[in-house]
Amino acid sequence: MTDVRAAGLLLAGLALCAGACAAKGSAVVVLLPDSDKTVGRAGVENKAGAVDLDDANEGARVRKGQRPTVFQLADAEVQQMFAEAIAALPPAPRRFALNFRFESDELTDEARALVPDILALMRQRPAADVVVTGHTDTMGTARANFELGLKRATMVRNLLISAGLDAAQIQVSSLGETDLFVRTPDDTPEPRNRRVDIVVR
Amino acid sequence: MRNGEQELSIMTKPRIAFGVLVVLLGASAARAQEAPGAGRVKVASGAAFVVREGRAIPATPGQVVLEADVLRTGADGRLGITLNDDTRVSLGPASEVRVDRFSYASADGGLRLVLKFVRGVSAYVSGRIAKLSPDAVRLETPAAIVGVRGTTLAIRVDEQ
Repeated sequence: MTDVRAAGLLLAGLALCAGACAAKGSAVVVLLPDSDKTVGRAGVENKAGAVDLDDANEGARVRKGQRPTVFQLADAEVQQMFAEAIAALPPAPRRFALNFRFESDELTDEARALVPDILALMRQRPAADVVVTGHTDTMGTARANFELGLKRATMVRNLLISAGLDAAQIQVSSLGETDLFVRTPDDTPEPRNRRVDIVVR
Repeated sequence: MRNGEQELSIMTKPRIAFGVLVVLLGASAARAQEAPGAGRVKVASGAAFVVREGRAIPATPGQVVLEADVLRTGADGRLGITLNDDTRVSLGPASEVRVDRFSYASADGGLRLVLKFVRGVSAYVSGRIAKLSPDAVRLETPAAIVGVRGTTLAIRVDEQ
């Protein structure tokens, strides 16, 4: 192959890429109000630049390799573009907090009284499942608290099964001391942090 | 031992019931270890699939979604999932989203959520990971990366 032909091929390759590679892929990202009507925040960025979204229905339009630009959408435009995706969102998960009696592994009476509400909600939802997450205070090591959280969650799981729930609908997990209800330093006893969260989804 | 006493006091039933409970617990603990899962399908209609290791499985409500699964819909498809940290993701028709990374409530305490929006229209509602560690959440599109701070978003990706 001569140098001239090689250069010609290279140029043809570059020309193809300029047409196909440069603008391949674009996205529109729109910030919507949350179900409680508050509006969150999001940042959209690539190598060419970054924009922040913090208003309801504020959108960013971005093409690959180019700086994102901000624009505002009317409700009707959001619906036109996204109605089908929004309609497919599952219902918002609902959280129940179960507390333990002071310095005990026993649930409070209030916590036990929530069980019928949890069962009723699960019957309403299609393909309902429940995640039971154990939490601890910051006494002891993170690893031991993960195990302790799991033990608390398993206890509540057993309670739900004896109340009539199918075991296949229940998942137990533990966040140990990583998701405190009341923020404390390490190695601090705090009964309000010893709890189990139930989320019905 | 303390735990055992507690279970008995909850049930206030004879010992036989306690034995059955232990057997049930053992069986499902084994199952939980096989497939911990990242979330579940909650909404599926029309052509809607969970693609796992290259194999497209028709999506059904209740089906478990794993990290690295791809969610895909055809021209008449819709799909909605809820991840274990309460994050919700849904797809309209002709869309594809990959659950690239999901780490939540694991023994090492790591938090990470990466979703790849490949094409089509999607909605996203943030969950606990975004609340506990906003920087651990990354929504990727071919044209830009989206970072969130507790947020509902609609995303459209065009491949051209």
